[in-house]
Amino acid sequence: MDSKIDSSVLKEFSEIARMLANPTIDDWKKQGGNVIGYYCTSMPVEILTAAGCLPFRIRGTGSTDTDFSDACFSSINCSFVRHSFNVALSGGFDFLDGIIVLNNCDNVRRVYDHWRRRLKTPFVQIMSLPRKTEEAQVVWFRDEISNLIKALEEQFKVNITDEKLSDAIKHHNTTRRLQRDLYEFRKMDDPPITGAETLATTVASTAMPGELYNQKLTTLLNELKSAKGHKEYRARLMVLGGELENPAFMEVIEGQGGLIVTDSLCFGTRMFWREIEEGEDDPLTAISRFYISERPSCPRVFGKYEDRSGFVKNMIKDFKVDGVILERLTFCDPWGFEQFTIKNEFDDWNIPLLMIDRDYTLSGVGQLKTRVQAFLEAMGGK
Amino acid sequence: MDKDLEKGLERVYEDVATYEGIVQMLEENPSDMNHIHLPLAKNVIRQHQRTIDCVMNGKPLAASYFTNAPEIFTAMDIHWYHAIAQAFAGGIENPHMMDDLEALSDMPIASDVCTLLRLTLFYLDAGVLPKPTMIVPLIEPCDGVLGLHEAVRNHKAWRGIPFFTPDPPYYDDERSIDYFADELERMVEFLEKHSGQKLDMNRLREVVEMTNKQYALWVEYNELRRAVPCPHGHILAMACFGLVQTEGSGGYPEHIQWYQDMIVDAEKRIKENNPEVPTQKIRILWFDVQPIWFNDLAPWMEQEWGVIVVMCMFGYAPYTQIDTSSDRSIFKGLAKRNLIDPPMVRQARGIADNFLHDIEGLVEDYKIDCVIVPGHMGHKDGSASISLMRETCRGIDVPFLYIGVDQFDRRYTTIDEIKDKISTFFTAMGLG
Repeated sequence: MDSKIDSSVLKEFSEIARMLANPTIDDWKKQGGNVIGYYCTSMPVEILTAAGCLPFRIRGTGSTDTDFSDACFSSINCSFVRHSFNVALSGGFDFLDGIIVLNNCDNVRRVYDHWRRRLKTPFVQIMSLPRKTEEAQVVWFRDEISNLIKALEEQFKVNITDEKLSDAIKHHNTTRRLQRDLYEFRKMDDPPITGAETLATTVASTAMPGELYNQKLTTLLNELKSAKGHKEYRARLMVLGGELENPAFMEVIEGQGGLIVTDSLCFGTRMFWREIEEGEDDPLTAISRFYISERPSCPRVFGKYEDRSGFVKNMIKDFKVDGVILERLTFCDPWGFEQFTIKNEFDDWNIPLLMIDRDYTLSGVGQLKTRVQAFLEAMGGK
Repeated sequence: MDKDLEKGLERVYEDVATYEGIVQMLEENPSDMNHIHLPLAKNVIRQHQRTIDCVMNGKPLAASYFTNAPEIFTAMDIHWYHAIAQAFAGGIENPHMMDDLEALSDMPIASDVCTLLRLTLFYLDAGVLPKPTMIVPLIEPCDGVLGLHEAVRNHKAWRGIPFFTPDPPYYDDERSIDYFADELERMVEFLEKHSGQKLDMNRLREVVEMTNKQYALWVEYNELRRAVPCPHGHILAMACFGLVQTEGSGGYPEHIQWYQDMIVDAEKRIKENNPEVPTQKIRILWFDVQPIWFNDLAPWMEQEWGVIVVMCMFGYAPYTQIDTSSDRSIFKGLAKRNLIDPPMVRQARGIADNFLHDIEGLVEDYKIDCVIVPGHMGHKDGSASISLMRETCRGIDVPFLYIGVDQFDRRYTTIDEIKDKISTFFTAMGLG
């Protein structure tokens, strides 16, 4: 699907999404800034920002093999982890001054065990993320964040004050607000931006200095106001799933004529659909509550399925979605069970659903095209 | 009686019939080890009959796990059953297994997800799980159990049943134990609310004192397995521990009796140099749970190669003795016992070092000649730790074999393939 907007910002975001280390990171490092890697949407990036560090979300972008990481992980482990750790072992993350891993899933949590043994990153931390969402878990995770702050202060010789935390909350909330503004354009009958372009835009937010990103996204939003819209699509689609940060995946879908208008993805709405409460007396509690119980959850969280399906249902309604593609990385257990449960909901909602199990790399393009074509045809698309 | 409730008991009745046959066999042949296992088999029947009674008479019934502080359930007189254990019917392969696996392949769930957990979902879908009045899910040590229980509680058959699960943190420190103890106290509030039964702390103290005794005996028995030759074979090492754990493990006199009898028999065999497996040449650590097809493999390993499975993941669980001097010390003790000690959870819940420390300790203490990790297809965290396990074994100079199996589906890697891999390994390592 051709772009409807000639935007240098969008081109830059797309470039950043296509690479790992990028010129904005190089500039940050040249100015003496530290960069901290992390693995998941549940990482409280506000802490890193308050520490004066640049949060960088780990990806395996560009990886084509797992020759090195196969010595650590097996063939039944998630291909995202195998590829991203292969990049790490190949030196692709040598620009990182630290890495923080949460016990997000059985695959990612083992990255911590291998990273600290096999790489020389100076700061390697693990955090214990609860699997429930009640007040006790908010308190637990607040302590985890507090411990992380102490470790960051010691490692990077910084002082993370409440004021800095409040500023970081405001900054990241601004990013979230701008990203939601971007999605407003996608509610239109003829949205001016594609799913692939949107994903590149949200991915870029995890790989560049925040202030710069917000400035550029503001520019893009202004440009979109006068852009032409896409009218020629066959159906409005939503993509649902976990780790997906490759705009090329969206391009394949959109190349078949389906326009992706919204999502529930780790690099998508689950990052920014809610905001952290500003002005709370204790910013750490506000941050903890957001990450534990307020932001849209993934199936790694127990007891919130109803909220997740409600979130999807609202998205379908608000964005006038005709059909949903549920993508899952092979060997992902939480999404495996979620597929089972949510499929029954879709039958009840009478919304077409295509379930795709995939590899992290875009290795099965032909098959993906065929399945999307068949899905669009079955939906009776234009 | 409601037809759905009745259907949910079908396989429980079948298990009862199976175990009645076993009891009869053990009673008719009291020689050798049989008399020791008789109380365990009888207890399986008793636990199943309690399940039937709860369903038929509308009594509180929990679908829970041995890692959810079973002592509390015993003290509150709340019966629970182990939903995942349906596949192995209290230690024995479910006779419907192949048909179940065939039917399972038609369900919309990815085949790379743990077969045991998919089977549990299949049982629920097929209506052959006893319907509980409360669900106390397990959400560690793997993503699969969490995913399963999220699916279970949202399944149309069980939707709306009250649920509560204690949230296990990732660490083993004092802060984690305090947090988990608080979670267990909240679990008691949940159980009281939904069963109408109150927890009497004095009764809990009594039960914990009984399990203290039981677990001290387990440690004592395991120390006897360090002897060369090892006094007992693989069945004792694995199946029965599983049976004790999954069938109302929270303080039953039969269990204490079983451990005592096992110790007496082991001591006698050591003294008389009369091991259950007479030709022992290779002492192995089987570092995973017992597969349902193990009875097709273990006797072959014993006869063909002189293998003795000295220890396994399920057999090794040095449960903490609990200080019963105060209510809080009991909850903290239960927290540690259920968060850090239980088999599988003790190794897989936290960082990979948990696997590695156990391997190092077991190899040394049990004079292990080689470590075999079958590598269940559902154990993603374990698969991601294989290289670390191999390095650990290399560091302590003990041969290591990783196979890659499905513990619950013998079609994944056939017994013949497994035998080939084991034979090649033993030959290459100069064992046997």
